[in-house]
Amino acid sequence: MALEPALATLNRRYGREVVRAGAPARLLGLSTGVGELDGITGCQGLPQGRISRLVGEPSSGAFDLGLVLAAEVSRSAPVALVDFTLGVFPGDIEAYGGDLDNCWLVRPRRPVEGWSAARTLAKAGVGMCILVAEDWSRITSGAAPAALLAALSEGVSAGLVLGGQLLPAALRERVCLELECRRLDWDLTHGDVCGLRMEARVTRSHLSAPGARCRLRLSFPRPYPIRAGLVGLAEEEVDEDEGLLRMAGSSR
Amino acid sequence: MTRAGARRLACLAFPHLALVLAWRAHPELRGEPVLLGGRGPGGGQVVMAASPPALALGVRAGQDWRRAELLCPLAARLPVDLGTLAELRRSARLALAGCSPLVEWTDDTTAYVDLSGSDPLGRQEGARAAQCGRALQEVLGVTLSVGVGQSRFVSWVAARVADPGRVRVVPQGRAAESLASWPVTELPIMGETAERLLRFGLRTCGDCAAITMADLQRQFGPEGILLHRLCRGLDLAEIDPGREPPPCGVRRSLAGGVEDSESLRFGAAELARGLAEELARQGRAAGRIRLTLRGEGGGRLGERAWWSEVAPSQPMATAEELMGPLLSLFGRLHPPIPITVVELEALDLVAPPASQIGMWQGRVADREVIQRAVNRLHDRFGKGLVWRVEVRPGHPGDVPEERLSWSSS
Repeated sequence: MALEPALATLNRRYGREVVRAGAPARLLGLSTGVGELDGITGCQGLPQGRISRLVGEPSSGAFDLGLVLAAEVSRSAPVALVDFTLGVFPGDIEAYGGDLDNCWLVRPRRPVEGWSAARTLAKAGVGMCILVAEDWSRITSGAAPAALLAALSEGVSAGLVLGGQLLPAALRERVCLELECRRLDWDLTHGDVCGLRMEARVTRSHLSAPGARCRLRLSFPRPYPIRAGLVGLAEEEVDEDEGLLRMAGSSR
Repeated sequence: MTRAGARRLACLAFPHLALVLAWRAHPELRGEPVLLGGRGPGGGQVVMAASPPALALGVRAGQDWRRAELLCPLAARLPVDLGTLAELRRSARLALAGCSPLVEWTDDTTAYVDLSGSDPLGRQEGARAAQCGRALQEVLGVTLSVGVGQSRFVSWVAARVADPGRVRVVPQGRAAESLASWPVTELPIMGETAERLLRFGLRTCGDCAAITMADLQRQFGPEGILLHRLCRGLDLAEIDPGREPPPCGVRRSLAGGVEDSESLRFGAAELARGLAEELARQGRAAGRIRLTLRGEGGGRLGERAWWSEVAPSQPMATAEELMGPLLSLFGRLHPPIPITVVELEALDLVAPPASQIGMWQGRVADREVIQRAVNRLHDRFGKGLVWRVEVRPGHPGDVPEERLSWSSS
């Protein structure tokens, strides 16, 4: 009975929001800009404040998908790209339509610098923090992933891990969403590879049951006027029997 | 999703909202003659609405108040609270907006809902119309009638002849048959034309439908064509969802039309902020949001609309919460023609979820905050850790690497 007056006093003294009923925290998604891809993640995009991972065989399109997502996010929010490989070419982000003015590229000389920069920028509130490496076990110290996750949570940034096939347990356990990319077919224009058609499948998720998948068409940057980017392919546009994809003519 | 196939419209007919409010405040006046007044355009008091017994005595909306008093001297006379009326109207429109993206609130006694196209739940049009009626009935608390037909006039007539609380569906192609006994004096034509029709012995729509359009045009001019179409259920008047802004939503007009989807997405943040402000003003959260893109035509004949909806697992109240689903909706829609109007509506309104997320949730930082973080990193690890990349202006760009200039700021 004394609760109501006490709450009223607190609200009056410190503001209306100071005491509120508890409820599960809502996980927000950072939209990828492609409805089909957003639809399978369980939160309408990459989970903010969590670590996601894109994985796939070489030439599966996983790395380019990461660059496309970086480009998409950079158009509306700052993006930090921590490049442990020292080999990512930021011009690709621009080629995918990204805003380089919103990109902060970290090239660490030692792993500790990279993890520290990722934490600091995530805490500062970049929209997305991408980490790229080839051999994660060599650069991952025990506490680094946990500290990164805390920083992402604090800054409500979406973390994205790219590259490498095997993750050390310390990092793997903290991945909230894992999307496996598989190349279905090359997209050819006059004999030139201008993109690929791929399938993204949820293989690990803390948000929904894994197994959801979608099909995408990724157009590579080309010197001639073809719009680079990503579009989703509707299931009905896919002819499984023929082993071919019949894509509608839409492009972004 | 676009409108396709045969056009099907539902007309919902209900007592004037001012009368509904009066009945709520004075239940004893149900079935009694009631006059509801307000200020007219000239400043004098006019009748805003009247109950059916008063209407039966010749009182009409818009009539001079004194004349109405003379016609119905025993009627109860009540003022209208315009603020409460506007609130009820908004709730009613919101209920209908949850049923279809194309809703026209014609006046405070009639609304039209577009039932064309397939229903995501696979329901028949009668069931969909009934659902619209139930949604509105729950808000108003009075019984209403619903008519479904191939045109605006057919559905309006069907709603008028339907029993209270019932849906009357006029099947496709049987409009002329259903209108056959409708009197010409009740047609939306000039009174002079109706009088001439009566002098010719044409008393019903069925009588007029038997005459060719050429003959009607010869006698009545352009109104003869309208008469011919009305009597055969072929009137082309579209419903106009753009008559009023969405009940809980934002609408942005794009001058000249925008064809590039990227440009459309550019305004997503502003749309999300606008809707968040509207939700905050009403103290609600959206369980579902709908994005509608309208092509050139502005809601009249020939307009095309694309819409998509999303219902995340948790209600959305802030711009940050709306932003992700909204971008996802933009990703789904690829209209092939220039877009002139973008609408974002909040549906399934609920109380904002009680959660402490607002106490700790961060926001996307601005450039200065990030620059300060970068400066701290440079202080700690030295220059050359964090880089900014710019495209060199005016460089021809033969070698991609040479197009970029790096700076460790």
